[in-house]
Amino acid sequence: MPLTVAGKHRRVRFPSTNQPAQIPREQKRPRTRPASSHPAGKMTSQEAPRPGIPALFTQPPPIRDPLVTESVDLQDATIEKCLPFLKGLHSSQKGPFNVCGVPALQRDDHVGYLYDSLEDYPAGFVAMDASRPWMVYWALTGLSLLGEDVTSVRQRVIKTLQPMQNPAGGFGGGHGQTSHLAGSYAAVLSLAMVGGEEAYALVDRQSMWRWLGRLKQADGGFRVCEGGEEDVRGAYCAMTIISLLDLPLALPPDAVGRSTGMENFTDELPNYLARCQTFEGGISGSPGVEAHGAYAFCALACLSIIGPPEETIARCMDLPLLLSWLSARQNAPEGGFSGRTNKLVDGCYSHWVGGCWPLLQSAIDGKPQSAGPPPQAVGSLFSREGLDRYILGCCQSPHGGLRDKPGKSPDSYHTCYVLAGLSETQHHHYRTDISASSSEVFASAFSWKSSPIREDNVFEKNDRLTALHPLYVIPHQAAERMRLWYESEPF
Amino acid sequence: MADTYANNPEWSDVTPIPLDDGSESGAMPLATIAYPDEYLDATSYLRAVMAANEMSERALKLTENVISMNPAHYTVWIYRARILFALDKDLLEELEWLNGISLKYLKNYQIWSHRQILMASETHFSTLPPKELDFLMEMFAQDSKNYHVWTYRHWLVRRFGLWDLPRELEDVDALLKADVRNNSAWNHRYMLRFGPRADKPDGGMVAAGTGKVPGVHDVVDEDVVDSELEVAKKAILKAPENRSPWWYARGVLRAASRELGEWEEFAGLFVKGEVKSTHAVEWLADVYAKERAEEAVGMLTMLKEKYDPVRKNYWDYRIKMLGQVA
Repeated sequence: MPLTVAGKHRRVRFPSTNQPAQIPREQKRPRTRPASSHPAGKMTSQEAPRPGIPALFTQPPPIRDPLVTESVDLQDATIEKCLPFLKGLHSSQKGPFNVCGVPALQRDDHVGYLYDSLEDYPAGFVAMDASRPWMVYWALTGLSLLGEDVTSVRQRVIKTLQPMQNPAGGFGGGHGQTSHLAGSYAAVLSLAMVGGEEAYALVDRQSMWRWLGRLKQADGGFRVCEGGEEDVRGAYCAMTIISLLDLPLALPPDAVGRSTGMENFTDELPNYLARCQTFEGGISGSPGVEAHGAYAFCALACLSIIGPPEETIARCMDLPLLLSWLSARQNAPEGGFSGRTNKLVDGCYSHWVGGCWPLLQSAIDGKPQSAGPPPQAVGSLFSREGLDRYILGCCQSPHGGLRDKPGKSPDSYHTCYVLAGLSETQHHHYRTDISASSSEVFASAFSWKSSPIREDNVFEKNDRLTALHPLYVIPHQAAERMRLWYESEPF
Repeated sequence: MADTYANNPEWSDVTPIPLDDGSESGAMPLATIAYPDEYLDATSYLRAVMAANEMSERALKLTENVISMNPAHYTVWIYRARILFALDKDLLEELEWLNGISLKYLKNYQIWSHRQILMASETHFSTLPPKELDFLMEMFAQDSKNYHVWTYRHWLVRRFGLWDLPRELEDVDALLKADVRNNSAWNHRYMLRFGPRADKPDGGMVAAGTGKVPGVHDVVDEDVVDSELEVAKKAILKAPENRSPWWYARGVLRAASRELGEWEEFAGLFVKGEVKSTHAVEWLADVYAKERAEEAVGMLTMLKEKYDPVRKNYWDYRIKMLGQVA
């Protein structure tokens, strides 16, 4: 439903209200597929795709069980929706299409969409009242990826975030809201992207440090806010903030953790994250729950912040099991990633799952030996082609913005993370033996470099995006400059 | 504007704290919202009573009002929980109210964090409230893979020690009967059968984070292991190309320190002749990896070339690793 503000067509929607596709009640019971039924679809699977597209991405998988359940209905419906887009035949797709049958990235549309997403929202958007730091972060990250200079909104970012910072430390989702690690993460990263002394100086590091001390739990993890839940998101956001702001690693004197003998923010943290790996190999939001792509990224990025991945990931995770699970997140013909076993592809996992790969690949490559890329890198362990086809073919909305899948509306969250996933496929991310930071603990976190991949690309030169730091999910320079500024400021 | 807090005598002693969304700064703040008047009114009083740490009936009603306008407002939930305890309210009544909100906002997670905070109270809940599991099944009827609900249910098992409560496994069975591909239900099953119990750290695989191999039990009940392997087999026979039971079976064997090789013949049923399961092919590749590297390469090559080519780079990596072992 298009919403109108002061006569202007607003294209931006907030993501959290997405509902799963509704399956009619009577179809929920398991049943057997008729032997004659054509795999996935009636009309579209018959039409010939554009030239240059391998059959892998235009046909249902070779093995399909006869037993149909709700999961299969949803999966079939998704394939059916995606196929015309994967084949480059849908009327809403804008070109031009290249020789690989892949449509161009509609840069101007997406830039326009993201700038629009930073402006005023009508009353119906009250549900995002606690997510305004995120709205800023998603838009700035998306715009940075698209090569826009976001320093132009520096003052506006500062004035937006200022009232959200609480005197007792941290940022809430809005003025007068309890400080939250997610909001604080989005706020700190947004300040890093616009950069400059005034932006950096906005953060009260002393109170932030003391607040983080109140979130650290006896089992090693972090609560997301005082009185809130504990999960790996919290751990990742906390270590992101601590490492970027150059906060002391030691817990504040009054931190609860000190009563159980803990001294540092990282104490027991690797063990907590290790308990989040499940028997499937993936990583859950908290110990014992189902493996999930978004939490996998949070846990692996957190481990890669607190030490070199070849040590931290290798020590805390069963790597072969993790690789197998992560690899199984990619489906054909869709080419994109799902977040969990037997769930559907969703554009946002282009980053959450896609972003795990450079971390694992780097863990496999081992300790960096030079200032350049490792000579015998393991390389990409997933299909970059598949993901690029899904992103450019299925996730671009006709009026700008990117989406979960065809049939869904775009929103800033998906626009940010789908573009981040595209950028990830375009670059080789590796660590060097030189760190931008003088810190010993975080030396590895600040030693990442990216170089464009030149071979076997299905996208065009004009589709290229800026590289992001694989742990902080903002441009490399933005992360490094922030860290260096705080290193030079007395705490 | 008849029903505003501003013109309500009951609230006349409170000085509201108006919203500062940055608009006063003159710098045009980002992602602002044209809030409805009643929301601005209610939240300005919310900020004021929160700042004063007021624990009162009127504050409790105010939280309900704000939640009805924006259930994603996490702060108001945390405040509400504190008031409920401070005023010693009837938490069963609160749960009843929550049930309705939960069914209305299926994707909201603040609701589940709130429920957990209430249920954590040992003073109020010495045992599991009788209707709790019924309500969770009602939620699963709407979305059988709802991550927040499963997270809560896992926590509930540990909170009340429900590993061996027949109802837990019955519910898992019912959900798997409806959809054998419900991986959330398989995960819950694993946790019930093989997760660490009360005296261990907070869940996950046993021994994880201790330096020992995670997921491997010192002692297992072999009858449970055998019956769970049978459950997995039956599920696989219904739908062989379903990843969930294959990986469940791996987890079961791992728990018992038993080899994948004991399923060589069973996995072979789906590979010999017409290939009916990529997971069976991968299983055989892992069985062969130890002593029959060439046959393992053959299996992985089948996956790479014919049955699962989107994962070609991964299968190539696996083949390369076999070469290094051999």
